Amino acid sequence: MVAPLPEKLTPELVFREYAPRIYNLARRMLGNDAEDVTQDVLLQVVRKLDTFRGDSQIATWLHRVTVNAALAHRQKRANRQKHEAGEVDDDVLETAAPDTAVKRWNVAPDEPVLEAEQHAIIEKAINELPEPFRDVYLLADVEGLPNVDIGNMLGLSVAAVKSRLHRARMRMRDLLAPHFEERDAL
Amino acid sequence: MTCEEMMAQLADYLGGELVVEHHETVTVHIKGCAKCDSYVTTYSHTTRIVRTLPKCGSLPPAFEARLREVLAEHLSEEVK
Repeated sequence: MVAPLPEKLTPELVFREYAPRIYNLARRMLGNDAEDVTQDVLLQVVRKLDTFRGDSQIATWLHRVTVNAALAHRQKRANRQKHEAGEVDDDVLETAAPDTAVKRWNVAPDEPVLEAEQHAIIEKAINELPEPFRDVYLLADVEGLPNVDIGNMLGLSVAAVKSRLHRARMRMRDLLAPHFEERDAL
Repeated sequence: MTCEEMMAQLADYLGGELVVEHHETVTVHIKGCAKCDSYVTTYSHTTRIVRTLPKCGSLPPAFEARLREVLAEHLSEEVK
């Protein structure tokens, strides 16, 4: 998540390096409420500056604190709206095999370079995932965290993380397919 | 192996987590099934293209200005 940093972490450096990262993760998890969470997490980081020994330590901590703050915020929001969180039914997202032909995609084989418009399509698709799946998906496929860390952050077994991740990837594939499929020849 | 069985093992297959003989069984199925072959390719594309998303963009300017004020206020209180 982070590039190597100079030895001395200052509030300005933290602001520059970490505020956008915190904000983007919170925005993808929460949407419009990301600003409150970003502010809370940033102030927590600044308060604890002296306790960090290296950038990998702060990166791990930052993910955890941002996720915790986002989940707490979401819980408060649900309470205000009198929604009960309840158990998550993984079958909300199916894992059935495709029953019709699957078209190829027009994507570069190695490192695809996407336009801003395509990034917006991907962001919209992520936003359409049900929250419990979106959290796992963001942390795994956008932030690049290992399943075991994601399980620890979200209070899930590794098996549950893998199940949700697979279902989320399948849904993402279906959501993105119309935008990336090869056009039929005229 | 059926297409449904392949789908159930797909994540472990792509993650290299299946034992050798199961991995080989899935490979044989994919090679012999155009639909699954295409599905697995596009499933893998999905992961690759999503990884191109920027992890951090710019903060919205108005929010950045407000956040800087909050931080400055916090730091000045710490000094007191």
